[in-house]
Amino acid sequence: MTTYNDKSRRAFLSLCLKGGASVAALTSLQLHALSNTLNSSSLNDYKALVCIFLHGGSDSLNMLVPTSGQYRVNYEQSRQNLVVTDAISLNTQTQFEGGVGLHPSMSSLTSLFDSGQLAFVGGVGTLIAPTTLTDYQNKSVNLPGHLFSHNDQQATWMHGQEKISLNTGWGARMLERLNQHSAFTSNISLAGSNPWQTGVNTSPYALNRSGVMKINPLSGHQPQVDHIKSIIDRLLLTDTQSPIQDAYANRLGRSISNVQNMNELLEQAPILTTQFSENDLSQQLAAVAKSLSIQAQTSSQRQIFFVSLGGFDTHDEQLNRQPALLSTLATALSEFQSAVNELSLQNNVTTFTMSDFGRTLTSNGDGTDHGWAGNQLLMGGAVNGQDVHGTMLDQKVGGPLDVGGGRLIPQHANEQYFAPIAKWFGLPESDIYDLFPNLRNFDAFNLPLFVS
Amino acid sequence: MKTFALLVMILAITGCGGGAGGDSATPTNNSANTVPDSTDADSQPDNNTVQPDNGNSDDGSGSQDSIGVAPIVDVKTPGSIVRKGTTIVIDSVITGDSSTLTYEWTQVSGPPATLVNSDTPSLTVILPDTSSPNQDDLIFALTVTNTEGLSTYTEATIESINAMSELQAAALLHQGTLGPTYTEIQAATGKSEEEWIDEQFALQTTYHMPFLENYPNKEQPSHINRIDAWWKASLSAPDQLRQRVAFALSEIFVVSDANSALRGEPEGMTHYYDMLLKNAFGNFRTLLESVTLSPAMGVYLSHLGNEKADLEKNIRPDENYAREVMQLFTIGLDELNLDGTKKLDNNGNAIPTYTQTEIGGFAKVFTGWTFAYSARWNRPSKNYTFPMQPFAQYHSEQEKHLLNDEIIPAGTGAEASMQLALDNLFLHANVGPFISKQLIQRLVKSNPTPAYVERIATVFNDNGEGVRGDLAAVVKAILLDDEARKYSSVFEHSGKIKEPLLTKLHFWRTLNAASQVNRYYTWNLHTTYGQGPLLSPSVFNFFRPDHKPSELLNENLVAPELQIATDSNMISTTNSHYSDLIWRMAERKNSLNPNTIYLYGETQINLLSNEGLQALLDYFNVVYYAGSMSDTTRNALVDLDSYFINRSAADRVSQLLYMVSLSPDFNYQN
Repeated sequence: MTTYNDKSRRAFLSLCLKGGASVAALTSLQLHALSNTLNSSSLNDYKALVCIFLHGGSDSLNMLVPTSGQYRVNYEQSRQNLVVTDAISLNTQTQFEGGVGLHPSMSSLTSLFDSGQLAFVGGVGTLIAPTTLTDYQNKSVNLPGHLFSHNDQQATWMHGQEKISLNTGWGARMLERLNQHSAFTSNISLAGSNPWQTGVNTSPYALNRSGVMKINPLSGHQPQVDHIKSIIDRLLLTDTQSPIQDAYANRLGRSISNVQNMNELLEQAPILTTQFSENDLSQQLAAVAKSLSIQAQTSSQRQIFFVSLGGFDTHDEQLNRQPALLSTLATALSEFQSAVNELSLQNNVTTFTMSDFGRTLTSNGDGTDHGWAGNQLLMGGAVNGQDVHGTMLDQKVGGPLDVGGGRLIPQHANEQYFAPIAKWFGLPESDIYDLFPNLRNFDAFNLPLFVS
Repeated sequence: MKTFALLVMILAITGCGGGAGGDSATPTNNSANTVPDSTDADSQPDNNTVQPDNGNSDDGSGSQDSIGVAPIVDVKTPGSIVRKGTTIVIDSVITGDSSTLTYEWTQVSGPPATLVNSDTPSLTVILPDTSSPNQDDLIFALTVTNTEGLSTYTEATIESINAMSELQAAALLHQGTLGPTYTEIQAATGKSEEEWIDEQFALQTTYHMPFLENYPNKEQPSHINRIDAWWKASLSAPDQLRQRVAFALSEIFVVSDANSALRGEPEGMTHYYDMLLKNAFGNFRTLLESVTLSPAMGVYLSHLGNEKADLEKNIRPDENYAREVMQLFTIGLDELNLDGTKKLDNNGNAIPTYTQTEIGGFAKVFTGWTFAYSARWNRPSKNYTFPMQPFAQYHSEQEKHLLNDEIIPAGTGAEASMQLALDNLFLHANVGPFISKQLIQRLVKSNPTPAYVERIATVFNDNGEGVRGDLAAVVKAILLDDEARKYSSVFEHSGKIKEPLLTKLHFWRTLNAASQVNRYYTWNLHTTYGQGPLLSPSVFNFFRPDHKPSELLNENLVAPELQIATDSNMISTTNSHYSDLIWRMAERKNSLNPNTIYLYGETQINLLSNEGLQALLDYFNVVYYAGSMSDTTRNALVDLDSYFINRSAADRVSQLLYMVSLSPDFNYQN
């Protein structure tokens, strides 16, 4: 195949994906063959990122808690009836005043942590520039817009930048910068559309968690199926005056061809010995593992996956709800890493969490409200594990980090958390500064999240 | 042609000389000529002398020395409702002798009409065609002059209203029902938009509670019975506009049992929906209070059981409802202009509507409330029927900081604080544009112009009678607006993607979906369609009003419904349509399973059998496309059918309907 051919095919597919021609007009195998020709950049390895979004704002300052000393006294005084007792003491590479205790419902993670495949990032949140309490009170630095609001802060985490009119997600921007966005298999969501994966030229393929999805009208006998398919293709031609109607037609056409293509690929998937639990997150991650198992056939050299677990908005009944949520998260994480290890992809796949925000140290009786700084998890063979990177915050109401009600100022910007991830994913540092516009306000790469 | 025929007939009836010319000018001349023929000049003075005895003081004072008296003239307009585009006759009524008088009719105001026989006793008016959804007010003047040159001037006012065509009715009903049936469209055809809306307003409310049955062999309803009740009411309710608006409200004032403790409270959830139905055409302030005090909302956003601060325990009031009632239910995050665009500060930045200070203030307001008739605070009654009630000792009596720096003074109780706080929210300038725009987006179009939003927000702020928050007036204004009716202009981006659940409901309504056991147990709505009634994954609804899909980034358009149009949702939705329209079309079955929901295509099958494919496609164009079926779609359907031409009419209708269900012009409500 000549270079000339490569380029023309790429241009044609690009045109299709942008709606200039109907993707539905291509057979899935044609599309597949075309997508194989697209990954032309100089990448010579395979990497995947799996984002687990904890919807609602995880009380992650109650996931990692101090176990001793003045930090523990402050913590207990702040948290009162929501204090976590019998936390599991972690042996971290870095020593922290007050120690590091893991919520007991996450005990299934300790072996991963000890084996070096799991790390935490402490005291991280949305920031535009380093911010002190005085800065906050005097409004002498810019602050993220709409702090403490669910969907805005979710969007800020997923966009990796403040609200702008044409915003895109940092996951999608990475794929586009690496020229890895053309194949739909590079961008897969198990939790629907989301800002992190939405770019200018890419949006996530929503994979059904059961994997293969039959398309009823195209599952009959010939020649009826061909006839029906030809009628559908005609209906989905997009030459109307309405861009919204055309967007619908494009979506449906793309969905049909993507699903057919994915079905073909998934039928080749090996059966894993790792068992996944019935919970929703485990099932989503099982589908991710299945997709990873056929990554060699997809031709994608970079993939991003998005899964989510909801219910972290624990305004009430936190003592019942948080242990269940953290237990689900821990179970799903350990099952997924076990599957990744089984596929021998542990050095190629990194899993990380994001969430709207941390929560208040103060209680509202039986729950907590929207806060700011929190802790995150990072998992995989490439991760600099068995440690907390960043800061174990002093959980003191009225302390030097408290902007009110026990909402703590992050000591590390989430962009400082994203930058090393992007670097691991293969982006040059210069691109990373473009990717995250506030990054230059911070020491960009000071969190040693990966083994280098 | 029709108008012309009518015109000729009217001329014959009025009988002013019997001129029957070929165009409008000729009869005028003819009638003018006929007047002298039938006039006895001698009778004129008699007529005038009689008139002063009748006591016409106006004319009497002006007519000195019995020189003469002007004719006594009245006009007689058509008694019944007058429709635009029709031809009417306005008769003069002369007291006394009408011979030797001359007549001159003119139009004084209103959109220009065509006047025929304007110099005869009876004016024929061809009223202008529909150019707006509002009634036309036209005024016509008649000057009658006698041989002495004395004239009388009289005016006649005509109010002409629309008569919707079939397709106009279909378009309105696509916006104002849960998916119109052919019968409903026919019933609306010939009425004006406003008549249909007013009739809908006047209909008795169909509440869902009476449809809530117990689960078979159980003594109470389960979650699926709530869904069953929603189907039964939505399918059959005559008050379709109210049902549609309540559904829209359920996507703004979100309560969900998809993943909350409310799953075990089907009665409480159904009560919540009924509350939305009750208030759909009421006042927004009442709706806001009903939402706030609803036990279902209290549980969902955790202000039920919310206590005042306990400083020793570091406990402060729950902020959940305080935040969402502002962000989602009333004012939003940013200061808005009346037209829904964001206000900007001197640096070009949006201006936040509230800070943590106001959230803290409202959080204190919503303390001390729990289930009605609870014996004690810690013994809640779990009564989901009545609004929440306060316990004074759990309510924060501290000072409460509201919007616009309004302060509720310390010592104010729970009920009074709640009233003051809701008034404070209700009177905020954002509410009109914030709520109006979302209702436009739910009913009519995704991208209303700022001018449209401003027109509706203006009605929200004042319904014309000094009332703020009149939702009936708001709904009526939304549906009557030119951007919804499209009489005078062609608008870009004029519609919206239909919600997938509503497309299913539309097929079910038009095809009489039913099971023999009369149950609509649809278990997986939100995984199949990405949505279901009161089944949102969070208080942020299934989709956000500002969702910009990647395909539309360059156009800078929003399409909220496309947020749930993911690959898996689109395929499962279209699979579900396939299952409904093909696998469960009753007429294709030899025997029916009593538990299965079947669709009955009898009308459409008969239409195909008796009148042929084109007649069926015309019917589809009315019912499913409101007239917007493209040639591409029509031709594709014809070619689809050619493959199935030897199959039964039921098979053919099934295949055609399925293809309708995935056609882009069906899924776009224009």
